[in-house]
Amino acid sequence: MTKHAATKTSPAQTGQTGQPAKQHKRLGTERVWLVLARRAYDEPLRQIGTVEADDGDLAGVYARSIYDEFAWIEMAVVPRDALLTVIGA
Amino acid sequence: MSKALFDLMARLADNKYYLGRRYAEWCSSAPTLEASVAAAAMAQDELGHARALYPLLRTLAPKAGVALDAEIEPETRTQFFTMMALSEPFVGWPDFVAANLLIDSALTQIFVAAQTSSYEPLEGRSRKVLQEERAHNVYGAGWAKRLAREGGPIKAAIEAALRRIWDETLCWFGPEGLDTQSDPLASTGTLDATPDELRARWLAEVGPTLVAAGLALPLRQNATTGAWELTESLPWDRWDADRYRLRALTPTTGSAS
Repeated sequence: MTKHAATKTSPAQTGQTGQPAKQHKRLGTERVWLVLARRAYDEPLRQIGTVEADDGDLAGVYARSIYDEFAWIEMAVVPRDALLTVIGA
Repeated sequence: MSKALFDLMARLADNKYYLGRRYAEWCSSAPTLEASVAAAAMAQDELGHARALYPLLRTLAPKAGVALDAEIEPETRTQFFTMMALSEPFVGWPDFVAANLLIDSALTQIFVAAQTSSYEPLEGRSRKVLQEERAHNVYGAGWAKRLAREGGPIKAAIEAALRRIWDETLCWFGPEGLDTQSDPLASTGTLDATPDELRARWLAEVGPTLVAAGLALPLRQNATTGAWELTESLPWDRWDADRYRLRALTPTTGSAS
């Protein structure tokens, strides 16, 4: 995922100059969250994607806006680093 | 009262309309893909709220003495009750975050105060608006904390962006010193709070986030009462009561234009 700096110029300014964006300091690393969802009660939760966010609340906001293609009955986010690998090939 | 209600609805609709437009300008340019998509969703929310409010102006206009149809629709209005902070595109991402954290939550306070409004159309719309605004609050607080945590020039940039719109956001709730009887919106039950009470509620909401992030804004929590208080007076000499916005300071003289 491409990240930009927080202090970059506005989109309009960048487009008008036609110059490549200056390289700025990257913002701190975000945590990766797995997004799980299901569409019916007789379905299990399954992973539908991931989001990067600082905390669970923001991850939830991101997940709802990005993965809104279905009328989910349940959606959850879980930090990827909370998974304990049992079998790893 | 009719004019006060019309003006309230007009400034709510106009500020949401412009906030939505400002959000939309960043829906492909936020620092992360996730933040861009969520910005697009918030833009849709704000424009949707404005779209739900504008039709009310048509029903309120006759009693408010607003005769021109052209002054009802957002496409043809010539005078918007829009904050100065939203009248121009955001210069950078910190301006987006500052508006999200301060202005968006200030608009939301009006809907909080309208949950039992005597004006039924506003009461009914408040529930849906408040439901959608929860995500906006999370977004603004999350990004303000994140930019503050970066320290250095990034923290300075978000502090400066917050400071630029701080006074106007606080003034926007309305004049100081009105009690329930003298405030036309509180006295009629349109809102359940006076402008001073709305300001206090808003400070209590944003104050903890700002302090937790270590962002230096002119507020403090009273150690005795627990209430959040301003440590600087507001620039009421620059307040334009007709347009509900602060007049800009002229760069050379520092006086209001």
